[in-house]
Amino acid sequence: MTTATQNELETAMEVRPDSRARLVLRGRLNEQTVVGCWSLLEKELLGTKVEALQVDVSGLGFCDAAGLTLLLYLNMGKMTPQATVSVFGLKADLENIFRELILEDRAFQPQPAIKSDFFVGRIGRKVAQVTMEFHEQMVFLGALIASLPVSIFHPKRSRWAETRRVVELAGANAVPIVSLMSLLLGFIIAFESARRLAEFGAQLYVANTIMVVMVRDMGPLMTAILLAGRSGSSFAAEIGTMKVNEELNALKTFGLDPIPFLVVPRILAGVFVTPLLTFYSILMGVIGGVIVMLGLGFTLPLILHQLASSVHLNDLGTGIAKSAVFGVIVSAVGCWHGLRTQQGPSAVGLSTTRAVVTSLLLIIVADAFFSAISYLLK
Amino acid sequence: MMNAPADIAISVKDLTVGYGDNVILQYVNFQVRRGEVFVILGASGSGKSTLLKAMIGLDPPLSGEVWIDGGNLWAAQGKDRLALLRKFGVMYQSGALFGSLTVLENVRLPLDEFSDLPDPLKEVAALARLKLVGLGAAADKMPAELSGGMQKRAAIARAMVLDPRILFLDEPSAGLDPITSADIDLLITGLHHFGFTFVIVSHELPSIYSIADRVVMLGSGTKGIIAEGKPAELRDTAADPWVRRFFNRQPDPSHSLEPS
Repeated sequence: MTTATQNELETAMEVRPDSRARLVLRGRLNEQTVVGCWSLLEKELLGTKVEALQVDVSGLGFCDAAGLTLLLYLNMGKMTPQATVSVFGLKADLENIFRELILEDRAFQPQPAIKSDFFVGRIGRKVAQVTMEFHEQMVFLGALIASLPVSIFHPKRSRWAETRRVVELAGANAVPIVSLMSLLLGFIIAFESARRLAEFGAQLYVANTIMVVMVRDMGPLMTAILLAGRSGSSFAAEIGTMKVNEELNALKTFGLDPIPFLVVPRILAGVFVTPLLTFYSILMGVIGGVIVMLGLGFTLPLILHQLASSVHLNDLGTGIAKSAVFGVIVSAVGCWHGLRTQQGPSAVGLSTTRAVVTSLLLIIVADAFFSAISYLLK
Repeated sequence: MMNAPADIAISVKDLTVGYGDNVILQYVNFQVRRGEVFVILGASGSGKSTLLKAMIGLDPPLSGEVWIDGGNLWAAQGKDRLALLRKFGVMYQSGALFGSLTVLENVRLPLDEFSDLPDPLKEVAALARLKLVGLGAAADKMPAELSGGMQKRAAIARAMVLDPRILFLDEPSAGLDPITSADIDLLITGLHHFGFTFVIVSHELPSIYSIADRVVMLGSGTKGIIAEGKPAELRDTAADPWVRRFFNRQPDPSHSLEPS
């Protein structure tokens, strides 16, 4: 027989030769004493063959929820597999709670093993998922294409106030950051190209480099990237939160389709704002380059002449056209991920991240496509 | 720590709550007796939630004290404060279950964070609480798979997993159908028999009549308590006509749309 006394709990454990065991607990069984009692019971009972276990708690003066949990655990027979367990001597009020809480052996039944996932099955599931997603994208695109003409040709049915709000948020409010980014971009391009071109005595061509790079690529691309991070994410978060809060369901019950109601104003705003911001970004980038060139000792008329001769109007047209496409990509992807937001606290964050990553990817893909087309057409 | 009368679980003394210069409740005093179901009620905007936030240690009061089980909640620091926070559990209005965890993991989480119990016992303790609220079979479900009423039950199970003696429930019946709402009332009554003290913020009259031992009513615009007592008594005998109208669900005659 093993007896242990710790703090206010006395534990007496006896395993008889006929495999019958008796555990007597006296004193206070609370969260502190349970831990010590647990260790003792593990030592005594685990690995010992016990056919019947009697737990005598008639000497317990106090038993809290942790103590009751220990008794429930013993009663489940986990420490004495195959043994019949009886807990007796509980005070009447605790006895009632104890009987109420007797648990089935759920926690300790082995969970059904997850079948190993054969790789063909995984490929199949992935294909099904991608197909499903593609189907959803097509449905979204179809609904969008169906809604856009209504908005454009029936201006009264469009939500212009919402469009104006988004134009302000995504466009006007982005001017300071676009200014700073583009000016610094102009500086960087000018400095980097000036060093290389100086080796050939051709620093004047810094002007050409800035103009071509800003007009054809960097202006539209950097503006679109900035919009994706700033506005695409905000579209996804805004619509996603509306979905989580069941506001989209409320719209639907009013008979309002979220696509014309929420998505179209954002797409129109994106198409309107991105080219404007891009044009502004090109301007600021060139100003940054001009400042560097002035610092290198070139005169302003010479720089301006060089700038004017370096690009044609159709280069600017291509840049602006690209930016309009980027605007559609950023807005549509942001809204699409917002509408697909699932339930739960992390869902909106997930949608926002996906919106930004997908937008960036599609912008680069579209840019590569534009570059390839313009090369082939020349 | 101060020795409080043994039958007082919570004592609110001269409590003033608000945000900056905006005082919402001023010099509020009341006591919650051990083992009673105490309901804080009042009109929308009367400061119920602000009062609750001060009572559970979320938003500091502008002045005054909240004593829980003989300890001054807002004066206690470090371990003393933690010990006081362990004396009560809170169920938030939306349930506020963690969406990325199963129901069982949600209920077990406080044990994982605060208890030295061996892991198998934590599992049993969490399951026992779920069984107590009638959700034993939903242990492995995700919160999003539960109905509103079940989420509130799971939140109650989580609130009581650290074995507090006081439970704060914020609008337990809000947004529930009458049957589910009555189920929650039944659960509260059942748990009450296990010796819990309940502080409930609510304005669901059927629930209040069925579960409340005592209520305090916060006035709209009065920045204080306008009535205290048993709900049926207040309904029939309250001196303030607004209180009687509230309990009898009678509209304010001055808000009538009928042509005069």
